[in-house]
Amino acid sequence: MREFLTTSKIDPKKRLVVERTKDFNEIYEPFDKHSARAQSERCIQCGDPFCLNKCPLHNFIPQWLKSIAQKDLEFAFKLSNEPSPFPEVMGRVCPHDRLCEGDCTLNDGHGAITIGSIETFITTEGFKAGLKPDFPGVTTDKKVAVIGSGPAGLSVATYLLRSGIGVDMYEREDRAGGLLTYGIPNFKLDKKIVQHRVDLLLEAGLNLHLNCNIGGDVAFEDLTRSHDAIFIGIGATKAKRASLKGEDANNVYSAMEYLTAIGKKNFGKKYDKAFDFKGLKVVVIGGGDTAMDCVRTATREGASQVTCLYRRDAANMPGSSKEYKNAMEEGVEFSFFSSPKQILTNSKNIATGIEVIKTRLSSKDESGRERIEQIKSSEYNIEADVIITALGFDVEVPPFYASNGIETNEWGEIVLDENHQSTTAGIYAGGDCYRGADLVVSAAYDGREAASAIVKSLL
Amino acid sequence: MTYSDLLRSSRDNCGFGLIANIDNTPSYQTLTRAITALERMMHRGAIAADGKSGDGSGLLLSMPREFMRSVAIKGGVELPDLFAVATLFTKRKNRLDTFCDICAANDLKVVLKREVPIDTEALGEQALESLPHIYHMFVVPNSIISTQRFDALLYLSRKEIEHALFDDDDFYIPSMSSRMISYKGLVMPTHIKEFFLDFQDEQFKISFSLFHQRFSTNTLPKWKLAQPFRSIAHNGEINSVEANRFNVKVKSESIKSEVFSRKELDRLLPILQQDMSDSASADNFFEFLIVNGMDFFKAARAVIPAPWQNAPHMDPDLRAFYEYHSTVFEAWDGPAAFSLTDGRYIGCVLDRNGLRPSKYVITHDNTLLITSEYGVIDLREDEIKERGRLQSGEMIGLDLKFARVLKDTQINDYLKSSNPYMKWLNTHMIYLQEHVEDQYGAKYNIDQDLLIAQQRFYNITQEVIEQVIEPMIKEGKEAVGSMGDDTPLAAFSDKQRSFSDFFKQKFAQVTNPPIDPIREKVVMSLNTGFGEIHNILDELPSHASRLKAISPILTQEKLKVLKSFGDEESPCYEAHYKHAVFETTYKTDLKATLDALTTKVIKSVKKDGIRIVMLSDDGFSSELKTIPMLLAVGRINQELLRYNIRHLVSIVAVTNEVVDSHSTASLLAYGASAVHPKLLFATVEQLVESRSYLQLSTSDAHKSVLSALNGGLLKIMSKMGISTLASYRNSSLFDVLGLSSQIVDECFCDSHALIPGLGYSDIDKRIQKVHQDSFDKRGFGSIFPLKIGGFYKFYNGSEYHDFGPDIIHAIHDLSRSAKASDYAKLRGLIAGRDRKFIRDFFEFKSDRKSIPIDRVESSKTILKRFASAAMSLGSISPEAHECIAEAMNELGGQSNSGEGGEDAARFKTNKNSKIKQVASGRFGVTPAYLRSAEEIQIKVAQGAKPGEGGQLPGHKVTPLIAQLRHTVAGVTLISPPPHHDIYSIEDLAQLIFDLKQVNPKATIAVKLVSTAGVGTIAVGVAKAYADKIIISGGDGGTGAAPLTSIKFAGNPWELGLSEAHNALKANGLRELVSLQADGGLKCGIDVVKAALMGSESFAFGTSVLTIIGCKMLRICHVNRCSVGIATQNEKLRNEHYKGTVEQLKNYFMLLAEDVREILADLGYESLEQIVGRSDLLKVLKDERSNKFDFSNILHKESGVETCQVDSNHPFDNNSFEHGVLDEARSIIKKPSGSIRITREICNLNRSFGALISGEIAQYYGDKGLKDGSINIELTGIAGQALGAFLINGVNIYLNGVANDYIGKGMHGGKIIIKTVHSGEEFSGGGNTCLYGATGGKLYLNAAVGERFAVRNSGALAIVEGTGDNACEYMTGGIVVILGSTGINFGAGMTGGVAFIYDEEHNFIENVNRELVEAVRIDTDDGDEARHYLKRLLKEYIDETQSNKAEEILSSFRTQIRNFWLVRPKNLTKLPLSQEKGD
Repeated sequence: MREFLTTSKIDPKKRLVVERTKDFNEIYEPFDKHSARAQSERCIQCGDPFCLNKCPLHNFIPQWLKSIAQKDLEFAFKLSNEPSPFPEVMGRVCPHDRLCEGDCTLNDGHGAITIGSIETFITTEGFKAGLKPDFPGVTTDKKVAVIGSGPAGLSVATYLLRSGIGVDMYEREDRAGGLLTYGIPNFKLDKKIVQHRVDLLLEAGLNLHLNCNIGGDVAFEDLTRSHDAIFIGIGATKAKRASLKGEDANNVYSAMEYLTAIGKKNFGKKYDKAFDFKGLKVVVIGGGDTAMDCVRTATREGASQVTCLYRRDAANMPGSSKEYKNAMEEGVEFSFFSSPKQILTNSKNIATGIEVIKTRLSSKDESGRERIEQIKSSEYNIEADVIITALGFDVEVPPFYASNGIETNEWGEIVLDENHQSTTAGIYAGGDCYRGADLVVSAAYDGREAASAIVKSLL
Repeated sequence: MTYSDLLRSSRDNCGFGLIANIDNTPSYQTLTRAITALERMMHRGAIAADGKSGDGSGLLLSMPREFMRSVAIKGGVELPDLFAVATLFTKRKNRLDTFCDICAANDLKVVLKREVPIDTEALGEQALESLPHIYHMFVVPNSIISTQRFDALLYLSRKEIEHALFDDDDFYIPSMSSRMISYKGLVMPTHIKEFFLDFQDEQFKISFSLFHQRFSTNTLPKWKLAQPFRSIAHNGEINSVEANRFNVKVKSESIKSEVFSRKELDRLLPILQQDMSDSASADNFFEFLIVNGMDFFKAARAVIPAPWQNAPHMDPDLRAFYEYHSTVFEAWDGPAAFSLTDGRYIGCVLDRNGLRPSKYVITHDNTLLITSEYGVIDLREDEIKERGRLQSGEMIGLDLKFARVLKDTQINDYLKSSNPYMKWLNTHMIYLQEHVEDQYGAKYNIDQDLLIAQQRFYNITQEVIEQVIEPMIKEGKEAVGSMGDDTPLAAFSDKQRSFSDFFKQKFAQVTNPPIDPIREKVVMSLNTGFGEIHNILDELPSHASRLKAISPILTQEKLKVLKSFGDEESPCYEAHYKHAVFETTYKTDLKATLDALTTKVIKSVKKDGIRIVMLSDDGFSSELKTIPMLLAVGRINQELLRYNIRHLVSIVAVTNEVVDSHSTASLLAYGASAVHPKLLFATVEQLVESRSYLQLSTSDAHKSVLSALNGGLLKIMSKMGISTLASYRNSSLFDVLGLSSQIVDECFCDSHALIPGLGYSDIDKRIQKVHQDSFDKRGFGSIFPLKIGGFYKFYNGSEYHDFGPDIIHAIHDLSRSAKASDYAKLRGLIAGRDRKFIRDFFEFKSDRKSIPIDRVESSKTILKRFASAAMSLGSISPEAHECIAEAMNELGGQSNSGEGGEDAARFKTNKNSKIKQVASGRFGVTPAYLRSAEEIQIKVAQGAKPGEGGQLPGHKVTPLIAQLRHTVAGVTLISPPPHHDIYSIEDLAQLIFDLKQVNPKATIAVKLVSTAGVGTIAVGVAKAYADKIIISGGDGGTGAAPLTSIKFAGNPWELGLSEAHNALKANGLRELVSLQADGGLKCGIDVVKAALMGSESFAFGTSVLTIIGCKMLRICHVNRCSVGIATQNEKLRNEHYKGTVEQLKNYFMLLAEDVREILADLGYESLEQIVGRSDLLKVLKDERSNKFDFSNILHKESGVETCQVDSNHPFDNNSFEHGVLDEARSIIKKPSGSIRITREICNLNRSFGALISGEIAQYYGDKGLKDGSINIELTGIAGQALGAFLINGVNIYLNGVANDYIGKGMHGGKIIIKTVHSGEEFSGGGNTCLYGATGGKLYLNAAVGERFAVRNSGALAIVEGTGDNACEYMTGGIVVILGSTGINFGAGMTGGVAFIYDEEHNFIENVNRELVEAVRIDTDDGDEARHYLKRLLKEYIDETQSNKAEEILSSFRTQIRNFWLVRPKNLTKLPLSQEKGD
């Protein structure tokens, strides 16, 4: 350990841009044994493991780094799979540079430990070596309904099943995984990986009900009658609107519509051909991870030009800087300090471009982030064949909340107590429907903590 | 002991000695000489300003029979041949009646009461106030029977009178004997002759005297505590006294005496008087042995044995004597020089470590004089026949009947041949090892689920495995960590904690030294025996029956063997080892189960003849929890004693609770004989099998763990200065923090109960919760079942860490931004931690209204009270070190150099550290270094590892550090655990005196670590003329240290600070010293609370490092600090160190403002006004806070709250050297030519040379003056520390001899000592010469004492013989010894070379070969060394005219064959330069 002076930080290799933009396969090549070990050995094993502190799951990061350094894959696998419901997913999708790696002691000139990639390595290699998380089977007579099969739902199901509690999981889509399946493009997270996790849970006793909309196909009240507890993990799926003139034009789409359609396309399923953007000029509004997903998907889909509009600059982008870099490499154009004023449409209500005004950063707000100020008379237009808004998500509030006494706050987010229990006893929740659009890892955390509370109340 | 008693308790050290006429001829001269000797050791005692008040002195004299007869005749009584005179102290005259009545009941008659004539003019005020009536009671036998057993009846009567008047604190019988009489009291030696008018009568003729001058740490001396006692005078301190006292009780259970009947024994027990000093207890015990007819020498060596266990050079028969006696006796261990007498024999014996000086002279007129110093009576050289000293563990005796002086070898010959001990041992003693095939081979094969549950229940977390267990497996040593402990006490924690966490290890500081368990291993032993404690007064073959193990930690195999001897079914069975296993499991009620278990054990011992009580928590299951093993052991140990059956039994703990040396040691200290750490071994087995990276066999792993635990035990014992396990067992050497008084009373009654709190039911609840959790199968932990930990490092949701990530971020942010809002974040985090530390339980309760902040003193004045804690350049990088110094100087505060020197280029700049530290390694301590200080801090102990030494590994010793520390780059530098010139309080006074000479303007500070009793130590330190005392928390510390020391040694600073503050007040000394607190201080609230508890200034360690970028990596010990602070790596320092002066300034400015705000709130204008105002604090009121009793911490003695003087001036103004300095001043002013000064010197003239050297260093720095500028010719016997800190240009020529510490810290110049009685047969110098010397030359044509050239790093020395441990820890310089050395030569020597002349060819046995090798120089390779040596010898002869050297040189070709060259093994180039040895 502590080899940071002799070994430099090395990120996993990325596939060549010309290669990777031709398909939707993952762009990172996984670490081999040697690099994973060498990179793990750089860890200081500090007294205040900032990485672990910053990780919402408080993953046992230093411990599994040490295990990998000691060539003990099995032990690392156990350590990694204890507090995290799907480390191989988190290793790929977590914004490590803002969380564990961002707070890594070595991230001050030495180069942070490549925690995410090693996390991916451990469970991927572990699976290959035949390791599996232990599930006892459904050993109790307790049953919990989980609404939504996204990260929060998968997480709560994992921990409930580990406790021998039966789980019925309801998903309105045709595949489990929620955002993991249809929100995150395959080049970031191979869908086989999500499916493998779902399969493990099925093997452990999960009852998965696909294409099943609670409140529609099945009444919420039916669930309460037949289950000892309910967990709501329906996410935040309603696209935020930009409130721009012309926003309703026919060729203006929300990010999730686009990503879901291409996701289905990649699964070989039916999808709306309107989302074939080959040869088109695509403009994406927004600077977050979802925006990056969109621009990079469009690139792979053969758009002739892909532009990202963002009101601030690269340094202020809310998402992972890694994603921005990847997008840059892949030929996306970025128009920073650009705020859309209106969407220009023609008479057929088809958008032809965007009127943009230049911005600059000014004084800081309470949170320390610099405010934006528009520069007078700096308007200009850009052309677009297709416009995608990636401005974040709001939660949807299904009617059964109100009828079952599940209170929400002004943004429609479920109000929970310290046990992740809603204002109605026995009904728990977590993930984006509670937090608003947030990270996968936070949803996973909510699922785990809710499971812990449910287990405590049931067993 | 009540808190009030604790504040007023004392420890004593002193000057002592004996004088005897070998022919047993009484004379008045012997008396006057004894008194003179006492007077001449006044500086070893304490003296008040009036010159009359001290801590007491006295003489134990052979009975002046003629004088007493004539006195009796004056009283109208003609004494028979057989008579005794008792001396009595009493305030009430009716006590005399009790005395007479009890004597009468014992067939004795009091024929005369005489009020001893005294002159109260000789007394100081305090002594006068407490002056008792002093009587002589003349006692004679009343019948023929009583004539025969007169002495026995005298003893019996005295004991009975003592018991009868137990409650009368003023009643005391200093002596009651037919052979000896005691004259002692609170009187200065200079006035003792005036005080006791008897002494003015020349008829008062005696043949011998023991004499003693006391230095008590407190200022409330008592008449009765003056020494000598009835049979001994003791200089030193018994570190193991708690264990010895317990063990005396145990031994008392089985005593059968030939002198006293059973009934009489019952009347005279207990042997030990209560509430007396350690010395008094030793005296009680020794006297008891003697009165009961035990042989004088055997008794002496039973109490103070030589180290025999690891002494291969010792005669096997002598070892047999010791081994036999070890079955019932354990050493009264600690620094000790004992003078003892029974009237017929008189002797002096020295402890095994040789930690006290004991020097003897035999004159041609047959006087034997043994004293702490040479020169205490004036003798012409031609009167002297022998001048020698006792070496470690030696004894010298005098048989007054046959007028024979008995030297150590003669005494040993007598001892070993007095009985066929060897035969007895061969027949009866059994070594477990002999019956073991493969002691590490056992398999545990525990069911995995149960194993996991056990690990969860017994707190074996993943962290414990990684941090504690694996390092033991891999290294065979305990794990090392750094950056102190920032977690709450077990009692305040709401997380799972081990029961032994409530216990904090005790350690030696100031009044007694810790010892070095590695370099001085030769005196240490973990030998353990099982079997009954037989009658100590008999010597029978069967008493040798013992099962023996070399360590108290038993492997499964050894446990099996032990069991086989106690199992009736086994062929090995012997009834006296009969064992039974007692399960410690319980279901519901902890207290009730413990009571029941105790009853069961008692019954089985009494009724079933059980002799080995095996306590086992084996039955642990999902149904059954277990009583904490330590609780069970402690309770049963006490209860067995209460039933007087403790002596029958050995307690063995078969336990899952032991994971480290701390948990092992606690079991042993409360009564266990041995421990089998079952779960630890099972876990090791599991690890080895499941973790391929460990790559070793289970048996190798077990072996490693065992040796790590053994090493850890030695370390824990040695930090208290205890060498053998036998003396550690039953010692209770822990403070108990947060357990209720009931628990402590019932189970751990010999320990201090601090912050009494949690009771049985609270502990029970904690256990219930953990137990439930351990079997919790609910999902979590099914993949990785262990708990992650959080005790050593931070983990979310686990134990609280006060330097956790959030606080580190907050400190970084605020010190960069300098924003009040960022500071407020930190303050919020601290305020929100919710009662994690003692101070958190207190809130302010002011008696004033708030005032506007502008009325509060300025930040500037507050900042003056801030200092950075000691961190050496070496432990931290030069960049960090200088940054801190600069910032503190700019702020007006102080920075601390730490141990390890400082670049002289910084001295007169704003990078100079105002505080210069003097630590046990004395690295870089030169005259200029000391002179550059505003404050000199003597680091007696450090929070991270009180009582331990340190090591700077060679790879950290860069050229810069090497230069500052006067050594060579790459050489490992070892700091010894003790200061080798502070074994005792009078030694500290001497060091303070040295430092006050070399830098008269500096404040002298002494750094202590919090522990119960630190108040007593602080008082002593104040009496030793320190100006300032630092109380460090046991949790602090930035350096590397063993984890068990970081976590479990020393108490929070709140306890120590408040105790020290109150104790100083109780003793009226608070006004003479200032107090500083150090430990985890971060915010204004910490500072103000510390002030309220008595602190005038404040030191910051970890915080300071954090401000300049530390991220609490806790890897300081590996040189990889990624932020360039705790490293010497160039790349890390240059590229990654980002700390700035501004950051430190930002932080401390904000902190000072915070303090001002709080002061304004409290309504006070300055910190000065609130120091010691603990009444402004009150304990929070809620259930959790109410659990604990904080009253002692908030206790407020009346008296002055702050220091009122500029300097605590020593009584000795050193006018002697001031006179010399005046003469030398002209040449210091204008250094040209040279000057010759001549003087007579005596042992009262101490530290000669330091004053002049300091003065020169002030102007010329360490380079001093031109060689030979000032030449001082002395005749006589020099006092201690001759030539201390001597500088270039000053040469001292002494015609005579000198005492201890010659050339201490010497940097240049010469000390040439020529004595008439020369050669290795005669002593010419004392102990610990050249300690920490960095240069200069010392030539002495006789032998010197123990530890010659210890930590020498540059001096060149030639002497003609040395004591034990010569050249210990030496890192440079050249030492030539033209005669024999003691044992353990060159231990820890990593630099320099030594030439040893070994005519007898026995030197090589004496070398500690761990680090050095001895080579011959009569080879081609030795050519350079040979010729170098020859040149040295020539110069030596020029200076001293040494006969021995002449002899050698005259046949150099032949003699060269007898020389050894000793050098560190890895030294490639010999550092042989003519000038000095670097």
